Amino acid sequence: MNRRVKGIVWGVILVILALYPWLFGIYFTNVIVTCAIFALFAVSYNLLLGYTGLFSFGHAMFFGAGGYATALALTHIEGCPLLVALLFGFLGAVALALLLSPIVARLAHSAFAMLHLAFSMLMYTLALKLRGITGGEDGIGGFPIPPFRIPGVVSVDMTDPLNFYYFAMAVLGGSLWVAWFLTKTPFGQIIVSVRDNAKRVDYMGFKVPQTKAIIYTLSCGFAGIAGSIYAMFQDLISAASFGIAQSFAPIVMTMVGGVISFFGPIWGAVIFAVIEELTTRYTERVQLVEGLILIIVILFFPGGFIHLAAIVKGKWLGFIRGQWFGSIKGKWFGKQ
Amino acid sequence: MDATTAMYVAQGIHGLAYGMVLFLVASGLTLIFGMMGILNVAHTAFFMLSAYFCYQVVAWTGSFWLALLMAPIATAIVGVLVERFLLRRIHALGLLFELTLTIGVMFVIMEAVKVFWGTENLPLPVPLLLEGLVQIGGMEYPVYRLFIIGLSLAVLGFLAFILYKTRMGMVVRAAVSDADMVNALGINVPRLFMFVFGVGTWLAGLAGVAIAPILTVFPGLADQMGMDAFIVVIVGGFGSLGGALMVAIISGLLSSYGVQFVSQLAPVLMFIFMAVVLAIKPTGFFGEREG
Repeated sequence: MNRRVKGIVWGVILVILALYPWLFGIYFTNVIVTCAIFALFAVSYNLLLGYTGLFSFGHAMFFGAGGYATALALTHIEGCPLLVALLFGFLGAVALALLLSPIVARLAHSAFAMLHLAFSMLMYTLALKLRGITGGEDGIGGFPIPPFRIPGVVSVDMTDPLNFYYFAMAVLGGSLWVAWFLTKTPFGQIIVSVRDNAKRVDYMGFKVPQTKAIIYTLSCGFAGIAGSIYAMFQDLISAASFGIAQSFAPIVMTMVGGVISFFGPIWGAVIFAVIEELTTRYTERVQLVEGLILIIVILFFPGGFIHLAAIVKGKWLGFIRGQWFGSIKGKWFGKQ
Repeated sequence: MDATTAMYVAQGIHGLAYGMVLFLVASGLTLIFGMMGILNVAHTAFFMLSAYFCYQVVAWTGSFWLALLMAPIATAIVGVLVERFLLRRIHALGLLFELTLTIGVMFVIMEAVKVFWGTENLPLPVPLLLEGLVQIGGMEYPVYRLFIIGLSLAVLGFLAFILYKTRMGMVVRAAVSDADMVNALGINVPRLFMFVFGVGTWLAGLAGVAIAPILTVFPGLADQMGMDAFIVVIVGGFGSLGGALMVAIISGLLSSYGVQFVSQLAPVLMFIFMAVVLAIKPTGFFGEREG
């Protein structure tokens, strides 16, 4: 695709998203906000997994930290502005990441994954036990959602779902753009090389643990933003957002959408939103369907939806299937 | 013996019994990890599946002993099928894909048991022979917990015998340290993988049957045990049986004495223990390589 086609495609997507609430009604507007929250969450996860090759079982901990930080700020600070609450969410997740990074930046593979599982379970237990602060099982809810206000210019009521839709999409979309831009910078190149061959990156004079710590902190910050928007959107945050199911969600979305691409996790979030919409009408066992889809995708298209799309496109362009397997094989924790 | 000592000993027996069940689950997990390098996320789902199989066999035949024999074998068959038809196909792609595939398998098993057996707690009676208490040295112990400890020790002995005294065990240990080399020596490593995966899930299945009469059978069974089992494997060192045994017992005792002395902190004691160990030695107690 050349520049002009790309520009037109993005323009059309923007127009559709702008008109979306009027086209599909308020129910599907809420569905797409949830979907966008998880898209950012999954993309933030893919910055670790797909780009840096760090596999984590506990990314939900940063989502939860962002949500709780925002909820606490809105509950306890009188007249806390909207953007400050959002900033609290971001900083909450970043603070947690900075606290953990000295320990986890030295680890790789399974130890990294499992330590995150342990820490996220620790956070989960704390959220349940520290009732005075976190509200225990009920979580924190019913806090006021302040209006979006630029003093002397504009004040928009955020309790109106329509206004909140635009606010959430702007924040999430903006975050996605920043994350995308990050992967195109020289720093983005370094983290990919850390994934492919950390030793060589070290020989070239880059500091591997520090690089990992930086991308880790940024990724967690994005997860915090997703959690913060989620808390404001639901007007509720509970211990479940630290839970193991919440940690598996971005993994599964990334794998189904495509770990090989920046846009894969976004596709994953969309696919899972669609699956959930369709299957909940017929059965309670949504996870059964999700599990089966995950298995089928990994068996036949390890590169996820992006991979499938390329195979379909390859039917026209003469793309060779083996190339894809070659480009994936061994890149994520394969034999060196 | 006075009442306080008796209480300590009773708590110790509880902790030991839980620790030994934990070891059964963790030993399968660590065996699979050491051999194939896969963190089998679905491991505790197999553990739970076996508890359901046990319930079903007891419901059909009324015999716990038959269930103890059959349910782990049925679980192992499911495990072997998963290895042969799912994991083996993507082995060449690298660990990430195998690991996420086991997540998919876990989702499917967890939901499938809800479809077949519903979501309520299914009670399973302790077999008649093992009911009640036994008196040793003026103290009373629940027989079933002693049976669990004995069963786990027997399995541990059997496993150690196979691994260290037979030719097959030698091959398995060699494959743990270098699978490619063993393959080059003319041994069918894929078949060995399948076998080890089967044994691993069989061990999880055995633990599932052992725990079923104590905790009853319910869909949350896997969550309760799963986290602890993973922690045991990591802290003990990936692929190390001795490490798994040691940490499983520590974990069991920590949880039983923890509830007694610092009940507020009890749920997080294990996580703190793990964080401290990993922060000092990232490979765990007896791990030689980073997982």
